[in-house]
Amino acid sequence: MNLFTQSVISGLMTGALYTLLGIGLVLVYRTARILNLAHGESFAITGVVAALLVGYGVPLPVSIAVAMLVAVAFATSLHRFVLRPRSEWPAGTLILITLGAAFVARGVMILLVGTDPVSFPALFEAPPIRVAGGALPVQGLALVLVGFGVSVAVGLFLAATRSGKQLLATAENPYAAELLGVDVERARLIAYGIGGLLSALAGVLLIPLIAVDFQSGLAMTLRGFIAAAIAGMSPVGVLASGLGLGLFEAMVGAYLGALFQDPVMFFVLILVALWQSRKIRFGGGRRA
Amino acid sequence: MTVRQLTIGCFALLAAVLPYLGLLPGWTPALATITAFAALSLIGLNLIFGVTGMLALGQAAFVALPGYLAGIMHVSGVPAIVAIPLGIASAVLIARLVAEIFIRLPGIYFAIGTLGLAFVVEGLARAFPSITGGASGLMLEPPVAMQADGWYILAVVSVALGTASFAWLVRGRFLRTLKLVRHDELAAQVLGINVARVKAQAFTIGSTYSAVGGILLAYYVRVLAPESGGVNASLEALAMVVIGGSGSVFGPLLGAAAIHWLFAVAGGAERFELLVYGLGFFLVVLYAPAGIVGALRLGWAIGEAQLGQRGAGTPAPAAAPPMTARDAAAVRAASAREGTCLELENVSKHFGGLRAVQDVSFTVRFGQIVALIGPNGAGKSTLFNVISGIEMPTQGRILLQGADIGELPIHRRAASIGRSFQVPRLVPDLTPIDNVVARLDHLPGDAREIDGQRVARAQLEAFGLSALADRPVNQIGLGYHKLIELVRASAGQPPLLLLDEPAVGLTADEVTQLADLLRLLKSQGAAILVVEHNVGFVETVADEIVVMDSGRLIAQGTPQAVMTNPEVRDAYLGALT
Repeated sequence: MNLFTQSVISGLMTGALYTLLGIGLVLVYRTARILNLAHGESFAITGVVAALLVGYGVPLPVSIAVAMLVAVAFATSLHRFVLRPRSEWPAGTLILITLGAAFVARGVMILLVGTDPVSFPALFEAPPIRVAGGALPVQGLALVLVGFGVSVAVGLFLAATRSGKQLLATAENPYAAELLGVDVERARLIAYGIGGLLSALAGVLLIPLIAVDFQSGLAMTLRGFIAAAIAGMSPVGVLASGLGLGLFEAMVGAYLGALFQDPVMFFVLILVALWQSRKIRFGGGRRA
Repeated sequence: MTVRQLTIGCFALLAAVLPYLGLLPGWTPALATITAFAALSLIGLNLIFGVTGMLALGQAAFVALPGYLAGIMHVSGVPAIVAIPLGIASAVLIARLVAEIFIRLPGIYFAIGTLGLAFVVEGLARAFPSITGGASGLMLEPPVAMQADGWYILAVVSVALGTASFAWLVRGRFLRTLKLVRHDELAAQVLGINVARVKAQAFTIGSTYSAVGGILLAYYVRVLAPESGGVNASLEALAMVVIGGSGSVFGPLLGAAAIHWLFAVAGGAERFELLVYGLGFFLVVLYAPAGIVGALRLGWAIGEAQLGQRGAGTPAPAAAPPMTARDAAAVRAASAREGTCLELENVSKHFGGLRAVQDVSFTVRFGQIVALIGPNGAGKSTLFNVISGIEMPTQGRILLQGADIGELPIHRRAASIGRSFQVPRLVPDLTPIDNVVARLDHLPGDAREIDGQRVARAQLEAFGLSALADRPVNQIGLGYHKLIELVRASAGQPPLLLLDEPAVGLTADEVTQLADLLRLLKSQGAAILVVEHNVGFVETVADEIVVMDSGRLIAQGTPQAVMTNPEVRDAYLGALT
């Protein structure tokens, strides 16, 4: 097996994952002006619910559909029933609330499946495709195709549909958008919905290959944020930064060892922070 | 000593001997020792997150790091008595570095950065079992053998010292500064606070508490597991601070005690632990942000009301001490004020293609009120931001008392510029006095607490606000906020005052009062630049009017001259008539 090809393949899959996570994170961050620390929980919830249902003997497609529904419901109800009624609270407190939601989600998941990783069968049970000395699982190919296809679809949705344009306008400037008659709350709800859906999609396609445990959520939020920060919080840029980050992490895993992935990710985050700091010329903080 | 302090003291004593009384099932000396060390480390998180509002999501990293570092050093031959302080120092140094990297960026970078660090610490501890002991943990041997009672005494003494030092540290000037930074970073900078430095300080000091508490706990239990430095441990620490009462002196202690005791009594409920933490955290943040301390305070207030122990009244303000060196310096500075204060030379500010301010030049002299008017979007606010340092000028020079300040950060201009905002940016849970003292805190010169209080009170009185001086701002009507902010901006007599729409939202009477106040400040020698839409107000107070339209200066002169200028009538007043 060719190590380089294999890590490019796994990098493409991871990159698709980070792109899907990053897009949702950026959309929510830009429209609602908060960082949703529970963003990655939708990914973990999808895996845990699907694994549980499959374990109870529920057919795979039904399990997956229900799992995705739960994940999207988690993201949208966090916004609709918890954050939105408190929109006048300080942003720091709202972020803290999203952390609380992530915390509760972890608590529930550990109760449901314990601390061991869980998984469920892949949708595509075909032998892996062999390319240039590497093996690409069909499921992985689907992840890559869906990941980038969906990203393009979201881009089209934003650029071409009325709801999408309203969402973009809200992301650009919520106050101005509201003055222009955009239903800002609807746009935000859609952003949370897309965020939950993309994380769930990533979960459905990736988790059969890697498994998931109760604490995967914050690790996913962290990686989605790094991808988003590299892209300067631009929904289009995440397509490239997510892919790049995924490839880089796969290379680190292949050539240095999986144990180095967390430290290297942290190092990337430090580099991003230093790069962003360069723009801030004044002593501290950021202007309002 | 008040009844309340006495009560707290009695409870503290009772709590200290409680494990030996056997009154509380499950509350053994061993559990109490663990709780006390954990609480000591939580004091740090309380300072960072509870008081300063920084979202430190990976504080457990600094709890576990010093133990790991010390243990590893010890294994490689360093005596434990040296390795322990070295471990603490290295962890604090790492905290300082993390602060330097993330603190200038928006708070979410700090949150994610600290979270990432927790992943790294736990990950590394698992990754190198030959050095760190891996998943089974690193064994630690205390440098001196101590009995269980000795450990308990050490724990009680150290948490008492930690709590007392926190209470001593987080008060007065430092507390006001932290509250300002937490509430409004921009306002804090405009008042002269170097926000990044203050946050770095809070994080470093806080992480020192975390490190000391963490290493004591690690040596007491003699083993350090990777997960004690990880994300879950960090979240649990946050939960304990929040549940105890974030920002309050006893919050960490009460939170740690409540949670540790609960799990000890429940016994064997590990599977539920995380959910209990999570739900507790979530519900307290949503519905009872003051936590256990808040509930106790409420209970105390109800008890007090029922016992009718009221009516002692507020103590009379202390008699005014004699004039201080700072007053004398202020008087000297004020008397030296003549000629030009602010001079703008061809100032431009472009945002991409948008020319918000284009080639503007004018001067403001000491003892002069200049009004800056113009239609919406004329560039007035941008110009204000350029003068106060919130925006950098694209071109041109800004001279304040002859010195070019165009490159100075906001907080370094603050001593010379007092600024008010369109929407007042006061700290809501501080009194007007404290809001004003927070301004005086960061002016150069001798800053003694009592002086600041006295000057602030005198200034509020001069503005006719003494009746409101001791109530928290969030209990005072919004109309007064503008006036209080004006007092804050003018406190310490800065040479230049920038007032952003001071008359908006005021009643006719209040506008008259405001005009008198501006004349008073002018007579004290201040140079005053006002952005204002209320033309009647402008005509009565301004010595000179500067008119901007589409980023350009289109007219300037006396009110009469400007108001009759046809170009001005076209551009601006035409819209009104």
